[in-house]
Amino acid sequence: MKAATCLALTTALVVGTAATADTPDKRIALSNNYAGNSWRQAMLESWEAATSQAVSGGIVAAADAFTTAENQATEQAAQIQNMILQGYDAIVLNAASPTALNGAVKEACDAGIVVVSFDGIVEEPCAWRIAVDFEQMGRDQIEYLANRLPEGGALLEIRGLAGVFVDDAISRGIHDGVAAHPDFTIAGSVNGDWAQDVAQRAVAGILPSLPEIVGVATQGGDGYGAAQAFEAAGRDMPIIVLGNRQDELQWWAEQRDASGYETMSVSIAPGVSTLAFWVAQQVLDGAEVPKDLTVPFLRIDQADLDAALETTPEGGVANTEYDLEAARKVISDAAS
Amino acid sequence: MTALLDRPWIWAWLAAIAAFAATAAIGQSQGIAGLLVAALTFSAFTTLVGLGQMFVITLGPGNIDLSIPATMTLAATLSLKFMGGAGALALPGFALALAIGLGAGLANYALIWLLRIPPIIATLAASFVYQSLAIWSNRGLRIKPPEILSDAMLGRTLGLPNVAYVALLLCGLAWVVLERARFGREVTAIGQNPRAARRVGIPVERVRCATYVLCAALAALAGFLLACFSGGAALNMGQEYLLSSIAVVVIGGSSIGGGRSNVPGVPAGALFLFLVVSMLNSYGLGAGVRLLLTGIIIVGIVALGARPRTAE
Repeated sequence: MKAATCLALTTALVVGTAATADTPDKRIALSNNYAGNSWRQAMLESWEAATSQAVSGGIVAAADAFTTAENQATEQAAQIQNMILQGYDAIVLNAASPTALNGAVKEACDAGIVVVSFDGIVEEPCAWRIAVDFEQMGRDQIEYLANRLPEGGALLEIRGLAGVFVDDAISRGIHDGVAAHPDFTIAGSVNGDWAQDVAQRAVAGILPSLPEIVGVATQGGDGYGAAQAFEAAGRDMPIIVLGNRQDELQWWAEQRDASGYETMSVSIAPGVSTLAFWVAQQVLDGAEVPKDLTVPFLRIDQADLDAALETTPEGGVANTEYDLEAARKVISDAAS
Repeated sequence: MTALLDRPWIWAWLAAIAAFAATAAIGQSQGIAGLLVAALTFSAFTTLVGLGQMFVITLGPGNIDLSIPATMTLAATLSLKFMGGAGALALPGFALALAIGLGAGLANYALIWLLRIPPIIATLAASFVYQSLAIWSNRGLRIKPPEILSDAMLGRTLGLPNVAYVALLLCGLAWVVLERARFGREVTAIGQNPRAARRVGIPVERVRCATYVLCAALAALAGFLLACFSGGAALNMGQEYLLSSIAVVVIGGSSIGGGRSNVPGVPAGALFLFLVVSMLNSYGLGAGVRLLLTGIIIVGIVALGARPRTAE
């Protein structure tokens, strides 16, 4: 009897794992276009953490990460062609351009390779896209500011790197939001290149010509620099929407403790790379996955600040990583 | 007056002053002082890397250091990690940053001399190594500088930012070295005619080596100071200093072909680069127009500064 139960349990276990992993011989590659900032580093670390577990657990055979040196679409296209030749079963892709890689992606699809793009997505229809609704991210910031400042006022917009589609999308959302709340005006707009020191420099340069600023809309990686510039100029601290970097959260907590400062922080969790990994694994496993998926933002409000600070590594970025269950939930939410 | 107008660096100063006036014209009165302080602060970092790049460019055609951003990042990342926010380690941390600069300069020159690689390729290749070391050492985590250093960098003396004094001091030293010291004369001579320089007994390769080391050391210093100023090292902190280090040299009236350099033009070019962006931002121009106008204005200044001189 005991042996029979044991056997039944084992069978159940075997059947159970077989249903989740028909992919132990599959090899997945990450093609990444850029690694030169803390967000990308956190993204690569999340990938490493999640995939090394998956590899040692026998779910996939390999999950290798490759980053191009120069953040160029041509270079990344060559990298994808190498991956095709190396016989990977799936390529997870953070793309340098939404259009310039279409040719290489099509070649991969034609070779029977599953391509899953995330964050920097590609337009080629054969690929899966895990997109972030960047416009919504811009609109949400203005929504929040409108709630806090019902009488409106002058805003400063800090944009990202000129010419990158993410910058255009977030900025469009911010401007949509301002159009919906006509009490706000955008008094000035600078490019902070998603870097604290560039943002600080740009804000310091435009501040002398600006009227009183009540709120700052940002794109992530630039909030702390903006705060430094306001402080150095001796101006009243506006509500600066932050971007989940630890030094921003730390500064926020200090301001809150000193003067009751309130704001919110929003960005994309770098762990989205782990979601892309599981989506690729699920597609290889034969699951029905819609081609277009959306990842939620990681938003931190006043009440979540202490918890977020505790889990964010010093000098890093607030993060959420996905496991198989969480990835399945995103997939089923998109399918329904 | 005509003698002054014949100075190649005068146009950069005039342009910087014009950009300042145009920005200040639409600001509030208390904003003018703020703009001046901001301009002096941020152009100080560009001045430091610009001085180093100027020495390298003066060596003559083909000499350029593309590893400046990576050297800044590496020196800042390693020294801030070493200090770990402890004020007691401020001096050793500073020394470490300079040592990294020296090491990077020697490595750059070793690639150029031993492997006979053109400087533009050698320093670019080396910069990938430095950047990778910076990534590998700390994975992009931002470590806060010791408070004593960040206070010093953010502080002011007699109303002007401390970093501006550092830049001014180094400009003075660079001027003395270039105009009065043997080393500066040798750099200029090599840039004007390397073969003649060799014939008269100038140790050309030793001077070149020292110049690349000097440039990397200034980049390391700028990286260290910038990281202390902005609250930590970031992997992309050096990015915008690649083009601006070259731009300030050219805007400042030094010859891109080497052999003719101008210390007073470097801070002017740095001030101008900061002020022109502030000016165009203040007038609400978008990024596209801004880049276009910046390009046109730079070409204009360089063309004015490069006119054939009557005094010579």
